[in-house]
Amino acid sequence: MLTIIKNRVTQLVVVLFILSLFTFTLMKMAPGDPVLTILNADEMVVTEEDQAELRNKLGFDQPLYVQYGKWMFNLMQLDLGKSYMSGKPVIEELLTRIPITAELTFFAMTIMLCITVPLGVWSAIYVNKWPDQLSRILALIGASIPNFWLGLILIYLFAFKLGVLPSSGIGSYSQIILPAFTLGFTFAVVYARLLRAGLLQSLSEDYIYAARARGVKEWRILWLHAFRAAVLPVLTIFGLSLGSFLGGAVVVEILFSWPGLGSLAVDAIFNRDYPVIQGYILLTGVFVVLTNLLVDLSYYVIDPRMKRKEEAL
Amino acid sequence: MIENNTPATCENNLLVVENLSVIIRNSREKLIRNLHFSISQGEIFGLVGESGSGKSLTATVILGMISKSLEVTSGSVKLGQSEITSLSERELRNIRGKEIAYLSQNYQSFFTPFIKVGQQFIEIIRCHTDISRKEAKKVAIHWLNKVHLPAERVFNSFPDELSGGQLQRASIASAIMFQPRLIIADEPTTALDVLTGERILDLLSELKEELNCSILLISHDLKHIINRTQTVGVMYGGQIVEIGKTSAVLSNPIHPYTNLLLQSRLRLNKHIQHELPTMLGEPGSMAEEGCPFSKRCPSVMKSCSNIVPMSSLGSHHSAACHLMNAEREERYVTR
Repeated sequence: MLTIIKNRVTQLVVVLFILSLFTFTLMKMAPGDPVLTILNADEMVVTEEDQAELRNKLGFDQPLYVQYGKWMFNLMQLDLGKSYMSGKPVIEELLTRIPITAELTFFAMTIMLCITVPLGVWSAIYVNKWPDQLSRILALIGASIPNFWLGLILIYLFAFKLGVLPSSGIGSYSQIILPAFTLGFTFAVVYARLLRAGLLQSLSEDYIYAARARGVKEWRILWLHAFRAAVLPVLTIFGLSLGSFLGGAVVVEILFSWPGLGSLAVDAIFNRDYPVIQGYILLTGVFVVLTNLLVDLSYYVIDPRMKRKEEAL
Repeated sequence: MIENNTPATCENNLLVVENLSVIIRNSREKLIRNLHFSISQGEIFGLVGESGSGKSLTATVILGMISKSLEVTSGSVKLGQSEITSLSERELRNIRGKEIAYLSQNYQSFFTPFIKVGQQFIEIIRCHTDISRKEAKKVAIHWLNKVHLPAERVFNSFPDELSGGQLQRASIASAIMFQPRLIIADEPTTALDVLTGERILDLLSELKEELNCSILLISHDLKHIINRTQTVGVMYGGQIVEIGKTSAVLSNPIHPYTNLLLQSRLRLNKHIQHELPTMLGEPGSMAEEGCPFSKRCPSVMKSCSNIVPMSSLGSHHSAACHLMNAEREERYVTR
């Protein structure tokens, strides 16, 4: 197990290096000049000298590889630079926003689990019966509607028409329900279909037949013998689609005025606040890579055969 | 005259399958047609036939585990006094693994791969009795020892950490824990090498004597059927075309399918002809009407498209073939 983790962490370092390279280059290639934005060139007269001075201060007059080297050196010390807009360290900005987004993500995933597992299991038990058809329709809806639209509809229904749930803000649990549902639903119904397919596959395995022939109770067969193998594909897709999940989180945060990482990133993009954008992209990247590492490691816990195979190599 | 019933309806029948028919619900395609056989106490009953002839499906029906897409249209399956086809799921669950044990052809997928063998033993024991995990472990170890396995080690292993022979032994141990009345062995040796396979069958025969149970041995390996069984049923296209005491069927095969099967064996004590006789036609192709083998039968007649009743030939042997009646009539004529 330790060797496996060691291998994966080595891979992780390589991935993170490439990620940092991309983040840096993308930001340098992006249109617009941050110097002009910082000096508020739209409203004030900016002299050539002012620009040159600031460029020199920010290190923009040096070759790219030097800039990258410096950036990387600071990054190693968790110094992502200072926000052009607020002047505060980027890391501080990110750290204050993380718990807020984490709260939203946590509730969204809870709602997701609460929909995915029952719906997936239910439609696998009643294949081609009405529960299955219902989940099929829900998955189609979930896959086709964008979540900002779903969010708007939910706000209209529950906040405006019925007036039972608040449409924005943070602080109370009632304020989490709508954004978390908006974020979780579209993924949940699609994952439910994946879980159904996985379950149908694993329920048709020979060992399930053998377990039935031994007189094992049906619920034990479902949860102890079949469920494990069925979860693997769902976990894989979950790890891979985590990026779009976080993208969805950005949209939902804007929609429900949720002051998390997503709002921070959007504000930073509008203001060309490069250090913050870089910080956000890096953080998201690290998060996605780490989650996928966890997903990979969970395979070995779920199916011990894989562990032994890999260790034998 | 010819009687239209099956022979060997002894008093001590353990399992009686009568007139059993199974179809696919949607397409109404017949998978098993008017199956008729019985297994008596303490015997090994062989069911032989090519893939798709309905052998394993018959086992599934006996276990009461037939899939929802299939339907039993007629007939009965009686184990002792209980009618399998009309039992509730709960009652069936109590019979499975306890009264009827099942051994699968693929030993590698007999145990669930991510649960330790021992835990699966405990699961079975606790599904059928109310004892603590500790006591259940003792029971499991006892039976693992019984099949000559290193019990402690096997108990703590995952299925893929054991060899094929060990797994098959472990599955036998799990099957006999409750001293079942019937063991269904669905091609128990297919995935094993010849020697291991023989040893497994030796073990099964040994345990059968000890537990005084019956075995339904499903196989397409004639040598096992010939060596191990007392009674044999030859299946083709979901139908038993010939049934009887193994020795009787062996010495005097009636149905052309049985005949061809037996001729296709390689034998050490016989000079090999240039070529072994082969069967005509596509394997598995069967006629919709009448005798299912008529499409491939070398001695097919016009009357073969009519339904062929089982006719007995002595008290321990019967077959479903028009040839048999025709020959007899011929014999009568020539005499």
